[in-house]
Amino acid sequence: MSALVLAASLLRAVLLPFGDLLSTVVFGACLLAISAREGKAAALPSPASGGGKFAAAARRGDESLAMGRIAAIMAGLMVGAVLLAPVVTGRLSQRPLADFWSWAAISAVIATLEETAIRGALYRRWSEEAGPAAAIIAGAAVFALIHLPRYGLAAMPLDAAVGLALGGLRAVTGRVLPCAIAHTIADWGAWFWA
Amino acid sequence: MSRGRRVGALALVVGTVAAMLLHGRPSSSPIYDGIIVPPAPYRYESPPSNVRNRNQKPLGGQATLPVNNGQVSGGGVQTDDAQVIMFFGVGTFKVPPGATSVQCSIEPDPNPPEPPAGIDLRGNVYRIGCVAQPSGAPVTLTGTFHLTMRLPPGATNDIRYDDGQSWHTLTTLFAPGGDPYASVNAAGFGEYAAMARTGAQGSGDNIFSTLGRYAEFYGILAFVIIFGVIAVVQELRRRRQQQIPKPRPKR
Repeated sequence: MSALVLAASLLRAVLLPFGDLLSTVVFGACLLAISAREGKAAALPSPASGGGKFAAAARRGDESLAMGRIAAIMAGLMVGAVLLAPVVTGRLSQRPLADFWSWAAISAVIATLEETAIRGALYRRWSEEAGPAAAIIAGAAVFALIHLPRYGLAAMPLDAAVGLALGGLRAVTGRVLPCAIAHTIADWGAWFWA
Repeated sequence: MSRGRRVGALALVVGTVAAMLLHGRPSSSPIYDGIIVPPAPYRYESPPSNVRNRNQKPLGGQATLPVNNGQVSGGGVQTDDAQVIMFFGVGTFKVPPGATSVQCSIEPDPNPPEPPAGIDLRGNVYRIGCVAQPSGAPVTLTGTFHLTMRLPPGATNDIRYDDGQSWHTLTTLFAPGGDPYASVNAAGFGEYAAMARTGAQGSGDNIFSTLGRYAEFYGILAFVIIFGVIAVVQELRRRRQQQIPKPRPKR
């Protein structure tokens, strides 16, 4: 699963010379396919966790611990605002608001797909196999690595830290939605302050 | 609180604090998703009428390069809005005796020299110079330095250099993929500007690029709609499957 997500990111980097749109669409499609595939595979027993019973119980436990939807959304909004806080003190970029909406839409889709794949499918698989701590750390590592081709080594510590925070948010709320909200809000800030 | 949540809360706090601390580093990227943020609008010293309302003044930049054993070991300078960037190699300057450093500056020129006949300025004219410190005496160049300029929308044929007497055409290398940057090997201090023949059409003005712009917009729209529909269908299917009661095992 981790290798598939990383391969999708590598494919995106390879396709970048053919245009940002094409590479982004292919990347998004790969993440969607990975999430869909994992959704089907989740019904199968996990050999490493001692069979399907434990895995299913873990999933049930995860779902039963899930925070209420409104509370989870609020948590996502708060974490997004906290992640955005350090950049809002910077100089405004003056990018035109009219061009923001199409960029914001695609940014939200990609952020949500990344969260569905990493904090959804990948987290669930790692959590079943090795527990939540391993799931959070593995998710943060994959999150940092998938951004390596685009932003280079300099951005990796920050991306790993944000991946850790989003993994923690996933574990606390039991949901992917707040992670997608926090991620999207933090991304949108780049339009105004980057 | 379950163990999973305790671990999650710890990761959330540690990750958030680390992210806030790392944001302070200038090399850090503030985005996490991999979408390229389009560049901020070009800053004009004398903006065209259609962007006058939202134009911001261009910024200058300067840097101090230390002198070691009588020579500068190289370095770079850029304007604060990153519209002009220049790099110097080792030994590019000849510095006067006693100099401890060289201060280089790039400033947009509000009163630039007139361009040659039949040629238009494209964007800003920048005044580039370096002086020795602490004396303020001029330094001389022993070679070329690398200069990259951001180009405004529209046509650009080349970057030219004015040495105080006339404009000189420089061999200009344009960035691939439509990126609005061009670079030259600059041979002197003075005024630098992007220029185009009067009436030259920008690459963004022909029929193919116009179609390409629309294709990109509708491509993004289609992308959002398709993935949105797939996500909604998947969610509905998941909910439907959850509602179907499982058959009881036969005894």
